[in-house]
Amino acid sequence: MAVKYINRGSAATVQASEKTRDDEWSNLLVRVGKDRDRASFEQLFGHFAPLIRGFQFSRGGQSSAPEAADELVQEVMFRVWTKAPTFNPDKASASTWVFTIMRNCRIDALRRSSRQPVTDESLSVEDIWDDSQDEQPLVFLQQSRNQSAIAQGLQSLPPEQSHVIEKAYVEGKSHSEISEELGLPLGTVKSRVRLALKKLQSTLVR
Amino acid sequence: MIQYHPDNNMLLEYASGSLNWAQSLAVSAHIHFCPQCAAQMKMLNNVGGNLLSASAPVASAQREDTALFGDLMQRIEARENEEREEPAAPAKTVKERVSRDPAFSAIPPVVKKLLAQNPVLKWRRLSKGLKEARLKTGQNQLEVAFHRIAPGSKVAEHDHRGKEITLVLYGSFSDGEGVYSKGDFLVREPGQVHRPTATQDQECLCLSVVEAPVALTGLLGRMMNPFLSLKPQ
Repeated sequence: MAVKYINRGSAATVQASEKTRDDEWSNLLVRVGKDRDRASFEQLFGHFAPLIRGFQFSRGGQSSAPEAADELVQEVMFRVWTKAPTFNPDKASASTWVFTIMRNCRIDALRRSSRQPVTDESLSVEDIWDDSQDEQPLVFLQQSRNQSAIAQGLQSLPPEQSHVIEKAYVEGKSHSEISEELGLPLGTVKSRVRLALKKLQSTLVR
Repeated sequence: MIQYHPDNNMLLEYASGSLNWAQSLAVSAHIHFCPQCAAQMKMLNNVGGNLLSASAPVASAQREDTALFGDLMQRIEARENEEREEPAAPAKTVKERVSRDPAFSAIPPVVKKLLAQNPVLKWRRLSKGLKEARLKTGQNQLEVAFHRIAPGSKVAEHDHRGKEITLVLYGSFSDGEGVYSKGDFLVREPGQVHRPTATQDQECLCLSVVEAPVALTGLLGRMMNPFLSLKPQ
């Protein structure tokens, strides 16, 4: 798949407007949580549904059937509605929060399709991927600065590094799967990931 | 002070959802103890959020989004009506016997949940001073267990045939390479022989996740091998 960051237009203005827009989605999400506001939810749906589909389609393979993508959208947005009261804009941006929900839905779908029986007593995905653990919220300003710092950082990664990062997140592949697929030694994949993270880390506001 | 953490590669696999269930459980429990890794997770989730908002929007191949939204609202309303009629049952609580045990007094919520689904722990003596209770996690490829080492006890020297993760939940232990206390997260690869010893004054409780059974090294170890009975599922 294409490395989209590189082709993006020149950008201080683009970034500034994206940042404000992300704040806007966060506000809508707060409104959905507090007031159960259906109109705000519909706007969020209109924004995130195509992005979730885009994310899912980039995965390739069997899960990119249109039905599967729409199903994922329905499941993610269902949980967005249910969990919206717990959304805290000081802790995460709307897109990061939706990402974690989408990731959990994909883990659930994988578990259901595996041969392992999932019993009612089993731990749920939310028990293990528990994003409420973080008890130290950043101030909103710092949160949104970090968000755009990481966006910028991702754009400036060398292609071989952003490629492995995208494979990991978008395609949901483990390091060993990426190494097999690209015909690279596992150590190379690991070190590319580490270098990329080091670079992103250095962009953050302390 | 936590000194041993999952590495960035493992944290990224956890954040992106490709790390297996049992190892993710151990990472999750570590994050509960570790503000540093919790902060790193925040960044890693942020990367995911950025990739989502940068993905190329795709329209549904089947129906208009307004129609899909209508379906969704119907499902939500149906669910909410259901809940009004039949409120969800309260969550199961962990058995008192275990929660009165000091070693289990400050365990992370995810480990508490794990206990709730294993209400009766069957402790088996593996060797002098070492006990094990295996846990059901809803997956069989990896073995998840609690290990308790009595104060001052030395565990027989052993190797691992698969990757082993150990998270210290209570007390501390040491081996040739260091001293590990509450929250420390250790990864041992096959071929790394070690001989853990619990601290003199306190017993040690660990959560461990093993890819394949542990093998004792040395002839004596093999003869008295307490781990030999561990079989892959």
